[in-house]
Amino acid sequence: MEGLSHNEVINLLLQLAAMLILARLLAEGARKLKQPAVVGELMAGILLGPTILGGLFPDLFQSLFMDNPSSAMALDGFVQIAVILLLFIAGLEVELHLVWSQGKAAISISLMGLVVPFALGFLFPYTFPDFFGLADGNRLLFSLFMGTAMSITALPVVVRILMDLDLFKTKMGMLIVAAAMVNDIIGWLIFSVILSFMGKASSLSLVQTIGLTLLFTFFMLTVVKAIVNRILPWINKKLAWPGGVLSLSIALCFLAAAFTEWLGIHAIFGAFLFGVALGDSEHMSERAKEIVHQFINNIFAPLFFVSIGLKINFIANFDIMLILAVLVISFAGKIIGSGLGAWRVGFDMKESLAVGFGMNARGAMEIILGLIALENGLIDERLFVALVVMAIITSMTSGPLMKWSTKKSDDLPEPSV
Amino acid sequence: MMFKKIALAIAFSPRSEALICEVKRLQELHGATLLLIHIGKETDENKQKLEKLLQKYQIDKGSIEVIWDEGKPSKRIIQNCNAQKVDLLVIGAMKTEFLFTYFIGSVARKIIRKAKCSVMVLIEPMVKPTAFHKVVINGTQLAQTPYVIKQGIEFCKAEKAKQVFILNEIKMYGLQMATIGEGNEEEVSKKRKTLVNDEIHYVENILKDIDKGDLNINIKVTSGRWAHELAKFSESIEADMLVLGGEENLTFFDRLFPHDMEDILGNLPCNLLIIKK
Repeated sequence: MEGLSHNEVINLLLQLAAMLILARLLAEGARKLKQPAVVGELMAGILLGPTILGGLFPDLFQSLFMDNPSSAMALDGFVQIAVILLLFIAGLEVELHLVWSQGKAAISISLMGLVVPFALGFLFPYTFPDFFGLADGNRLLFSLFMGTAMSITALPVVVRILMDLDLFKTKMGMLIVAAAMVNDIIGWLIFSVILSFMGKASSLSLVQTIGLTLLFTFFMLTVVKAIVNRILPWINKKLAWPGGVLSLSIALCFLAAAFTEWLGIHAIFGAFLFGVALGDSEHMSERAKEIVHQFINNIFAPLFFVSIGLKINFIANFDIMLILAVLVISFAGKIIGSGLGAWRVGFDMKESLAVGFGMNARGAMEIILGLIALENGLIDERLFVALVVMAIITSMTSGPLMKWSTKKSDDLPEPSV
Repeated sequence: MMFKKIALAIAFSPRSEALICEVKRLQELHGATLLLIHIGKETDENKQKLEKLLQKYQIDKGSIEVIWDEGKPSKRIIQNCNAQKVDLLVIGAMKTEFLFTYFIGSVARKIIRKAKCSVMVLIEPMVKPTAFHKVVINGTQLAQTPYVIKQGIEFCKAEKAKQVFILNEIKMYGLQMATIGEGNEEEVSKKRKTLVNDEIHYVENILKDIDKGDLNINIKVTSGRWAHELAKFSESIEADMLVLGGEENLTFFDRLFPHDMEDILGNLPCNLLIIKK
């Protein structure tokens, strides 16, 4: 195996250091402004990438990121791992037992919050593919992707908002969390089917792909979950803590990711589902979960979000009309959909609106989704930038809007679940 | 007293004898009437057996009632308990042969799900029964929890329990900590404390309106899934009774995806008292 040369190693280390330092600085800035860290991390990428650094100091940008293809390749490896780990923790956050305990109401909010934005997100791009920036791909696939990209609620953002507003443990809070979890699973199911048709020529038919995806999901949530539940107590008891559970869970996550990649579904889907299977086990302690979260959120997530800015020129691809169109569709779809879902199960108008605002937060998942579509040539850079802006604006507005709507509500939601 | 009518299903096994002794103790403690239910034929042989049992353990016939019934055990037991307005049904748990763990069989599980009365499950009923000294009460935030705690405390007072633990857990602690982990070290540890204190306050709020007698009550906070945490805690302190609420209105959907309580029923940490309204 050919290794990196002396200079390439130095270059790679400098890249990683620059990305992490700037990401931390800007994330701290975002924190001061009471915004999620991801906003700062994305900004760090824009600063370090072709948008700012490449424009102002092209030589520096060139020597840091472009001159050594091998270190760029190694960096890409880091970013790939980061995406897989991000999906792994997204899965870990899904607690199926919480979803079941919330029952029909969560399913209603979630499904309506999925169907309506999906329909709007599908309809408009299908009717006006050129405006929305269909690259050179299949129009149906493109519209299906847009539908999915509008539908996934960002669970960590929602949890944060609910905690800030002291709504986390209320009936409404738990319902929103459970609904966002269902959203996650179904959204990724749909996306994984779309993915298998993008880019890499798939030898499977649509029915085969859907069948395979469902079969794999079922397998992960039954057999793998049961196995995990059996071996985790042993791991916790016999191996070093938290070393044992940490290294083995990440290893198994990679294994599941490799398997789905081999199947022709994207690697991230395996990582996500393994996360769900692991997170749902009662033997996966909350302390271990916290460690996994902190480790990925603060090392790998910044690398990923900064890398986005490195790849794309945000100013050159900033299309205000497209951004507005994406924003309108995403706001309308999610607020109306989830709001209707909540109203149907007995919330009043104001509460339903609050649920809609809460579910409106998008985040990392839309960005990951968009990036994969971009890399596979399904969407162009303008639309990708619009999706990133949409993810940021929905995340930033969700909290204030929810606060506004619950304040107006005379009868606050019931205090406990 | 909280249980005015206590029922026991008998099957004339050595275990039944111990169960009879246990319900006799409960009957005397609560000043209750006793209902013995036998699902099977009312033969002379069985009647004699029962007669002997009652004599052997000096059970006053005036305070008991015997029901002989035939049919599907779970269904008949539930129907009789409901018709007779029983407050507490006592059943014995099963023991796995190799692992020496206790579980609840399918008939008992059905009874627990469908009976309107509270159910006590005893893992090792004894001919010379003793009171329950170390009791754990489920304090997780559920709609029924205030009632369960109130009844649990009543029960502990009657039993003169020496130690009472109320266990509450922080929901999704890992995710909550990860999302609030954006403050500095001091802020994060303050928030961590707030999460714990919130759960303690929840239980304290319920307790403040309850007459606690001279019970020694400890509130404990954990994180994770409540049923699993309850079982783990009860095992670790070697509790002799775990009090929790029963689930009502289980639909097909709930059966398909087992609820938290099923975890406990499948591997009993200790005796169980399932409170129903």
